[in-house]
Amino acid sequence: MLLPTARPTRRFTGQSSHLARKMAVTLAVLSGLSQWAPSVRAQEGVAVKRGGVIRYGHFQEPACLFGGWVQQWYLQRQYSDNLVARSDDGKIAPWLAESWTISDDKKVYTFEIKPNVKFTDGTALDAQAIADNINGWLSNDPDLRNPTAAPYLSDSFESAKAIAPQRLQVTLKTPFQPLLNVFAQSSQGILSPSALKRGLAVNCENPVGSGPFIVDKWRHGREVTFRRNPDYNSAPATAKHQGPAYVDGISWKFLPDQTVRYGSLITGETDAIYDIPAIAWKDANSRFGILRHITGGTPLRLALYAARPPFDDVLVRKAFAYSTDRKAAVDTSFLGSLPFEGNGALSQSSPEYLHELGRAYTYDIRQANQLLDRAGWTERNRNGIRVKNGNSLTVRISYSNAFLKPDGEQALQVIQQQARVAGFDVRLQPTNPADFFAGRNLGPDDYEIVLLYWVAPGAEIFRISWKPDQNGEPNRFNPSRFQDSALWGVIQRAEQNFSSAERAGLYQQAERKIVDEAPVIGFTVLDVTLATSPNLKDVWLDHGSVGEPVFYDAHFDERK
Amino acid sequence: MTLILMKGNEAVKLVAQNPLVWFARRILSGVVVVWAAATFAFLTQCLLPGDRAQIIINVRSGNVGPAPPAELAAVNAQYGFDQPLVVQYANYIWRILHGDLGESYQQHRPVVGIIAEQIGPTIVLAIAALLTAWAIAVLATLLIAGRDNIWSKLLSGAQIFLATVPPYWLATILLVVFAVNLRIFPVVGESTAMGLVLPTLALALELSGFFGQVVLNEFTRVLEQPFVTSARARGMSDFGVRLHHVLRHAALPGITLSGWALGKLLSGAILIEIVFARQGLGGVLVAATSSRDVPIVSGAVLISAGLFVLLSVIVDLAYRMLDPRMKLT
Repeated sequence: MLLPTARPTRRFTGQSSHLARKMAVTLAVLSGLSQWAPSVRAQEGVAVKRGGVIRYGHFQEPACLFGGWVQQWYLQRQYSDNLVARSDDGKIAPWLAESWTISDDKKVYTFEIKPNVKFTDGTALDAQAIADNINGWLSNDPDLRNPTAAPYLSDSFESAKAIAPQRLQVTLKTPFQPLLNVFAQSSQGILSPSALKRGLAVNCENPVGSGPFIVDKWRHGREVTFRRNPDYNSAPATAKHQGPAYVDGISWKFLPDQTVRYGSLITGETDAIYDIPAIAWKDANSRFGILRHITGGTPLRLALYAARPPFDDVLVRKAFAYSTDRKAAVDTSFLGSLPFEGNGALSQSSPEYLHELGRAYTYDIRQANQLLDRAGWTERNRNGIRVKNGNSLTVRISYSNAFLKPDGEQALQVIQQQARVAGFDVRLQPTNPADFFAGRNLGPDDYEIVLLYWVAPGAEIFRISWKPDQNGEPNRFNPSRFQDSALWGVIQRAEQNFSSAERAGLYQQAERKIVDEAPVIGFTVLDVTLATSPNLKDVWLDHGSVGEPVFYDAHFDERK
Repeated sequence: MTLILMKGNEAVKLVAQNPLVWFARRILSGVVVVWAAATFAFLTQCLLPGDRAQIIINVRSGNVGPAPPAELAAVNAQYGFDQPLVVQYANYIWRILHGDLGESYQQHRPVVGIIAEQIGPTIVLAIAALLTAWAIAVLATLLIAGRDNIWSKLLSGAQIFLATVPPYWLATILLVVFAVNLRIFPVVGESTAMGLVLPTLALALELSGFFGQVVLNEFTRVLEQPFVTSARARGMSDFGVRLHHVLRHAALPGITLSGWALGKLLSGAILIEIVFARQGLGGVLVAATSSRDVPIVSGAVLISAGLFVLLSVIVDLAYRMLDPRMKLT
């Protein structure tokens, strides 16, 4: 059932005839069974202890139990199911859809929905329920709009409808190959349409999915408790077992202070914790099970405002990159807990990542000085800052701790000193999260550099970052304001190409161009880390998505 | 004529000294304080830079940058931001008069419910810390006041140290030593009695140092009063004199401070709750401030103003009970 994202289109052209469609489904099921059988068999004969409640210490508490923020994805992964899953190696696997076909023109996807699945409020999970979800994501209704799915799909999506009780048809205006990747992300978990009618106030508090756990109670400021869904019958093909979860539930505690979080694992008050503090990284590796996922999409990067001086000149952008030893700054600040990432375009866990670009713009002060001279920044004032036409080479860096870990600020201070040697006057603009979300220090004249990221499985993120402004509407997700129609053309060709190799080639072409033009320069990877106590087994991070912790297969060993 | 005027003045004085009139005046001034707080909270949310609809959309989606006009329009209509400010203000005050503090922009629930479910643990922590601070301060004062030995100097020095140390730093130290290393108390206290000990101490130690110094000065002064010498002359023990005669007088400035201290403890509890991951207003307020969830912040401001008014009335009453010389003016 492991349908390589490029292949099903040639094999199964579901538009041709009913017989062909039936064959397609059968082949897909057989193919899936054979490929996924080893992982299922691996569990057979192994006596897995059932019961117990996992006490999990998490970092941040969202205001709603679903939504576009990655902290909400983590929770949603526990109580909802997606249409499809994405395996560790980037292949699309069945979940609520047992199989699917794609029309010859790549615009019509027909999904066969798993029968006999119910939401935990008793509503049937059929094609109509999924269609209602998808149409809501792309509507302007604030209660239903999905802030992750909408920017990916709003250009290409036409409609979603149930053409039979268990058959869903999604129609696109233009082909969009990453569609299934988008459907596989946890923020696109399917929720009960009858529960959604209760309104956002109730749904935020008590969302209803069809997943392995049911949201039991949210004690704000303290924990969300989940209990096992005893009737669970819709695990993804990527899971290690089928049927209900092994544990009775999860106590998902919010422990924002890292001393408390790590301390609670040491004293045995929690069984697993999220985000191991840098200072405890070595200790945790020697005591506990460690899980780590480097998120795909963009790394944490410096976006250089390319629509006005000084960074409208590519020479100055490159000079800034060469003038800063970002690797040294990151290594000394994060103590090895968070590696440096030199490729500003794409994170290293994305399938299209080019390793040689990870070494782009290594520290070279001579090169930086030469580039600035060539760009006309030849004079210096008495403070050593370069001057051109009476303007000094000032660079304001806007950032917020909503997007930067505390140690990152120290790394920025190092960069500030390094760039000064080449003649940059770097000024840091720390901004509290509320002001940052309100747009403070983010206006067109407010910054030269801003630190931001966007997690995603891979290079489909380019659409979000590099779509040019259209019809007078600026692309709000392009903080460097770098607009290149040739680059956008390559990205669109990649999205519409259903050959894996050709598509990867096109995305890599775009990746090279982005790194070469330097509207963004790399800073650090983003990661998800989990420490688990030795008696808690088979917790895993969803590497196919963005590293959400998965407790469905988890169980305690006999000591608990 | 003069006589009549004098009688009139006395009548006014008598009315003013009537406990009911005094109480009514306090309540009226309290209402004015709460109204001013409500208006201030409203103005703050309207005048702070940044479009409210923009913040709601961005915090919900985890994005920054300008949202599309269609999305903004939908949110503006949903929350009534598209109406004139005067109408918004009138609606806001009207809702408050009906006990409705609005709905959280991010949690989408009534603010009254959100604060009601969180304020209990915060008040328990603040009161526990106040009582503990008093107990420590009184005990230390009884032991060291008027004595000039190494212990009194050490304790007095410790009080000054505790009064100046940041509570969140103290909290982390207490946590690492007594919970993580010695494992006497739980790291994640939640709502158990044992879990209350460390957060209470983290808050109370600072305040006990402060109380201790204030009470100590007054205590030392009162120890030299003639009635103390007289009590001693009647054969009372030194500790008995301190406990029964001196403490009552020395406690008066401390009582006055308690109203202020409880307010300080309520705000201090917010930080301590974050450190110890305790349920309470702290976590909610920090999250609301970070996401500019104005209805929650405004609600907390209003309720805090109400609590302050209530506490100051209680402290005034307590003061008058302890010191009959005071008149209800």
